[in-house]
Amino acid sequence: MGMTITEKIMANQSGRSSVKPGELVWVDVQSVMTMDYLGKTCFEKFKSLGKTEVFDKDRVICVSDHLVPPPNQKFATMLNEWREVVKEHDITHFYDLGRQGIAHQIMVEQGHVLPGTVSIGTDSHANTYGAAGAIGNAVGVTDAAVAMATGKAWFRVPSAVKFHITGEWQPFVMAKDLSLHIMGMMHWNGHLIYKTLEFDGPGITSLSMAGRMTLCNMTVDLGAKNGIVAPDETTKAYLEGRAKGDWEMIASDEDAVYEQSYEINLSNLGPTIALPDKLDDTVPIEKAIGKKFNKAFVGTCTNGRLEDLEILARIMKGKQIHRDVNMIVVPASQTVYLDALRAGYLETLIMAGAAIDTPSCAACAGIHTGVAGDGDIVLSAGNRNMKGRMGSKNAQIYLTSPAVVAASAIRGEITDPRTFDI
Amino acid sequence: MIKGKCWVADDYVMAYNIIIQEYWTTAIDKEDNSRWVMAGVHEDFNSENAFKDRGYTFIVAGHNFAGGGKSIEHVIAGLMGAGIKTVFATSFARLQFRNAINYGLPFVTSKDIDKDCSTGDELEYNPQTGEIKNLTTGKSFDSLPAAPFVAKVGQAGGLMNYVRDKIAKGEAIT
Repeated sequence: MGMTITEKIMANQSGRSSVKPGELVWVDVQSVMTMDYLGKTCFEKFKSLGKTEVFDKDRVICVSDHLVPPPNQKFATMLNEWREVVKEHDITHFYDLGRQGIAHQIMVEQGHVLPGTVSIGTDSHANTYGAAGAIGNAVGVTDAAVAMATGKAWFRVPSAVKFHITGEWQPFVMAKDLSLHIMGMMHWNGHLIYKTLEFDGPGITSLSMAGRMTLCNMTVDLGAKNGIVAPDETTKAYLEGRAKGDWEMIASDEDAVYEQSYEINLSNLGPTIALPDKLDDTVPIEKAIGKKFNKAFVGTCTNGRLEDLEILARIMKGKQIHRDVNMIVVPASQTVYLDALRAGYLETLIMAGAAIDTPSCAACAGIHTGVAGDGDIVLSAGNRNMKGRMGSKNAQIYLTSPAVVAASAIRGEITDPRTFDI
Repeated sequence: MIKGKCWVADDYVMAYNIIIQEYWTTAIDKEDNSRWVMAGVHEDFNSENAFKDRGYTFIVAGHNFAGGGKSIEHVIAGLMGAGIKTVFATSFARLQFRNAINYGLPFVTSKDIDKDCSTGDELEYNPQTGEIKNLTTGKSFDSLPAAPFVAKVGQAGGLMNYVRDKIAKGEAIT
């Protein structure tokens, strides 16, 4: 019987010839990521296991993303303690303020995730790594500490669900729209808990790495264990010059077994929006057009990449953001920031009246940089919209694609980018 | 055999309501995390030690207990600090399911339990057979037994102890 790509990776990385759903395996981990607000605890736990050196200093990746730049003294002190502990363990790859980015962006962009391997991180959106043909999995600090000590993590082999994506991407329709569409179909933490989700078909072959990252990123919010796109020529071209190690092509067998399969035709997919409070309360944009809002936000590990900033610039060039809207744009990493600067996107956005902030998780985690206050209505290209997610419980968050945010920010009300005059 | 009072939750009790945002960046500590555990789940629990002082031993929940995608272990530490010995639900969110296994707090899947228990009912759970008895109503429920690995980690008092012991003995981790 054939195996899915996730089963193959779990078999290869646990030294077995095959695995089946339900089996429990200890796999070798390619990279272990931890970040500023949990990292110190991770290292303390690691030390308590009786080890002094991590399994591989090149493969424990440390990132400052949630707390930077520190908005208050408490966070500044936490960051100082974090820096001490990273230094103490002589970690090779430390992406601290100045070289920072959102951890999941850094992991893929800097080549710490390799196709055919398993990487874990202490933040829920580690599922993003599936875009590079890897198993990316979110864990708590205990699992990360164990992996730092041993290079291993335990997994139960998940059963698989396939999403076969056909047709062509329509203008101004993005991977985020597909993510939100699937969320509406399968429900937030609903039918897909514990599953591995595999995306394939012509609609995936034609999708950029940035789009694949968006798609895999939000599989955690479907409740899935991981989401994965098998490596192809797009992956290969992207990883050229980035990959921190050798890797080989890997794909599901023809006769691999899927618990369920769904086909989605992109010719029927338009801009999609999640209404406030519940991620799966998604509607085609037509049903939300005209809704007024006062804050616009584009950034996060879901939609803060160069391609996202490009579409903002394309739509907003020569236009002015509506006077009743404040817009904040936060590139996902310093690399994205610099690339967007050089390409002129940031200049376009600033001319349109957007505020650009330094790469971090920003208001998505509700911690700092443009958090929502009472009565705010936020149109966000982020990943979660539950009450209080971006700050006040008395704020409403609509989730959508960067293209919808761009067109809507100009009009001051939710606007279909396909009918917007650019 | 574990015996005690249960608190019955709804579907979709979210991890970020079990531990609310202002405590995400605090230390992971059973005693400390338990003081405000469940603060965001119900208005009645939104004061210091409010949930803990009610003295529940079990939680009975529906679909996707502890979901919403937070990986923080404060959730499990807080429940344990509040005296919770086992959580029964029809399904669990995977991140906290994993954390619970790693901490040795049984998260036990039981198909219909949410329909036939009320807050304050006295339950008795037999981890060996998986049988859950509602002593108040006289009803019984089956549950899924823990996988052998999960049971081993539970017996060791959590993954840290399990791995620490293996490292000390120089044994392979399998």
